[in-house]
Amino acid sequence: MLSVRELVTAYGKIEALRGVSLEVTQGSITCLLGPNGAGKTTLMMTIAGILKPRSGSIRFSENEIAALPAHAIVARGIALVPENRLVFPSMTVLENLHAGAYQRKNGFDDDIERAFTRFPRLKERAAQLAGTLSGGEQQMLAVARALMSRPKLLLMDEPSLGLAPLVVEEIFTIIAELHRDGVTIFLVEQNAHMALKVAHRFYLMEQGRVTFSGDPGSLAEDEVIRRAYLGSSKS
Amino acid sequence: MDEYALGVLTNIGLLSFVATSAYLLLIAGELSFGQQAFFGVGAYAAGIATAMLGLPLFLGLLIAMVCGAAVAALVGLPALRLRGLYFAMATLAAAEMLRILFELFHWQVEVGGEIVGPDGTQGFRGIRWVFERGVEPLDFLALVWGMLAVVVVAIHLLERTRLGIAIRALGEDPELAGTLGVDVLRLKLAVVAAAGALAALGGALFAHHNTYIEPRNFDIMLGVHTLAYALIGGLGTVVGPLLGVALDLGLLEGTRIFQGYRMIVFGGLVALLLIWRPRGLLDERVVHWLRTRR
Amino acid sequence: MIDFVQNTLDGVTAGASYALLAVGFTLIFGVLRRANLSYGPAIMLGAYTATWVFLQTGAGLIVLLVVAVLATVLAGSYVERLCFAPHRKGAAAAAMVASFAIWMQLEELATLLLPRHLYAFPALYEGGPLIFGPFFLRVESLLILLAAIAVCFVGWKVLYATRFGIAVRAVIDDPRAAELSGIDVGAVSLRVFAVSSAIGGLTGFLIVSSHEQVTPMLGMWSTLKGMLAMMLGGLGSLPGAIAGGLALGLIEAHSQWYLGPQFRDFIAYLLLFALLAARPPWMNTRSAY
Repeated sequence: MLSVRELVTAYGKIEALRGVSLEVTQGSITCLLGPNGAGKTTLMMTIAGILKPRSGSIRFSENEIAALPAHAIVARGIALVPENRLVFPSMTVLENLHAGAYQRKNGFDDDIERAFTRFPRLKERAAQLAGTLSGGEQQMLAVARALMSRPKLLLMDEPSLGLAPLVVEEIFTIIAELHRDGVTIFLVEQNAHMALKVAHRFYLMEQGRVTFSGDPGSLAEDEVIRRAYLGSSKS
Repeated sequence: MDEYALGVLTNIGLLSFVATSAYLLLIAGELSFGQQAFFGVGAYAAGIATAMLGLPLFLGLLIAMVCGAAVAALVGLPALRLRGLYFAMATLAAAEMLRILFELFHWQVEVGGEIVGPDGTQGFRGIRWVFERGVEPLDFLALVWGMLAVVVVAIHLLERTRLGIAIRALGEDPELAGTLGVDVLRLKLAVVAAAGALAALGGALFAHHNTYIEPRNFDIMLGVHTLAYALIGGLGTVVGPLLGVALDLGLLEGTRIFQGYRMIVFGGLVALLLIWRPRGLLDERVVHWLRTRR
Repeated sequence: MIDFVQNTLDGVTAGASYALLAVGFTLIFGVLRRANLSYGPAIMLGAYTATWVFLQTGAGLIVLLVVAVLATVLAGSYVERLCFAPHRKGAAAAAMVASFAIWMQLEELATLLLPRHLYAFPALYEGGPLIFGPFFLRVESLLILLAAIAVCFVGWKVLYATRFGIAVRAVIDDPRAAELSGIDVGAVSLRVFAVSSAIGGLTGFLIVSSHEQVTPMLGMWSTLKGMLAMMLGGLGSLPGAIAGGLALGLIEAHSQWYLGPQFRDFIAYLLLFALLAARPPWMNTRSAY
């Protein structure tokens, strides 16, 4: 479904992505692991259209999307739940969902109902300002908002970051649920343990490149975790 | 060289002082809409010193610089923690307040049978120290450019020192600079004061070149112009602001082809230039490239 | 006491113009995080174009209003494309200096169109002021006040009850999150610029027809008053812009009465400087670029 080839993204002279290649197959949960600074967020931002790559290709369902702006990427069916959640703090929960559905114009009441069913706590707080929600609730809101555009591919950048363990479990339950509902998921995670429990395939990224790919079980879990946090022994 | 060309060159020199003062603040990361006020402070201070107190020119210039630095520090201190547009608006408010104070400033003394001194909106006539001593326009031009050269060299050398790097670090990322041990607030205040002194020096020379100054000379238009000169010329080197002033005054004023629609041409060119080069013609990248050519 | 009430009335009506100007500035600032130094000049060009049309054709007030608004919107869109769109992800200084450069351009264009220092403009209202007891209120001022209220009401409805409004508020709140929600931030910015320019054009028309004259000072005046009011009310908030505008009007009216015209401007600047230095929490410390 998503095919990234030799992607290079740079900030001025500094190359954050040095030729990244990976595949996300339709209907799967794919996970991207790696130490801080590896370029995982940069990759997500590039796919989402916030950053422009210097070279390389991103193909989504046979179409080249590397040069498209963010709103066009959303129109193609890719939505990103960014690191640090990014909700609209001065708008209510309901208005946040409306914003997420911006391209749908109208006829998304069903989606709002579904969002509230999936995230009952958001329903309770529908009229509350998003800036006053707790971290976990904001994460749920960010996910719910991304889903409002009915994406075929959902990108998630560190959904468990800064959240309490119980909340993290909830998030991953939702990820599994979404997968059952047919959404393809590509997620970046620091929490390798939880990620490997749900992923069908994973990639390891270090210093702007993919250094390993496989399915859970192809590498011993503690080896994966070591490389995810510390990088491989060759430096 | 004819009188007109001499006049243009002198004006380029004079405005370069204010443009450079805006440049100093820009590389320290702040926009100032207020440097024209210190230009004015210097003009009035030097005028008072030579025309009313009978002091020699160099003393007048020195007094002007001290006053410029002092007033700038006074204004800068309460505004020190402000950033971005807030800081810019504070400088604008302060500059306008100073200009209004100039409009209210009346102090006249009798010198050699004549009444001399600032007279509110009527301005300050008779700053004739330079003319009374028969200084030729060419000599004055040499004085202006001589002092400008000293300033430019000094700043150029400063930029290579740790202090200079600290100032640029302040401009790039104040938080980061702070964690590297830079006393952010103290440094910013120092830059504000230095920029004030520099603008004041320009103003002092301006007052003696024109012999007459009025509050209207030091309005917002001058301020925004000098900001533009600094940015267009380029923030990579202290020569940048001079280039900006020279381009406006020299090219367009001097060639006079665009009489009557000069701003239409210049304004459009500036906006286009900034699209191509957001940090000016001689920006950091160009300067770096030029340096590594050796 | 009578003076105080009269000054307050005068202050509120002057403040209505300032509030409108501040709203225009704030809309642009909110969406782009930049100050548009060409806002006043665009308004001036709008007013000058309307004056030119009046001189050529003697058209009526409604036509002139439409011309002023259209000309200002055109000028505003030109500024947005040239000075703000190219620098959206980059340097704020470049955008603001570019908008200053175009300020110069627009002012010169206006003065080329109408070279004299003063032009007559048809009156907004031909009759005399309203009189209630010892107080008087010019009908023109009342009309400006009503226009300001109308703009606020319509603006509030649009922002809170339309899809476009949600997009605008999203971009103001967090441009990156807005992009990720599928909102075309560039298109929203352009449209907000146009709306802001339309409000500016309306304001310019009201001001020149209320004073029955047009002068080249209009550009600088609008910019200064608008920015001053915007900052007094706490940068970036629309209700703040309105409050700031009214406050500025009141401060000016009362300072002028008790201290004279020279101090009128001085007090306003002093207040702004003091507020900035003190940075009270309602001054909206959201990163001003």
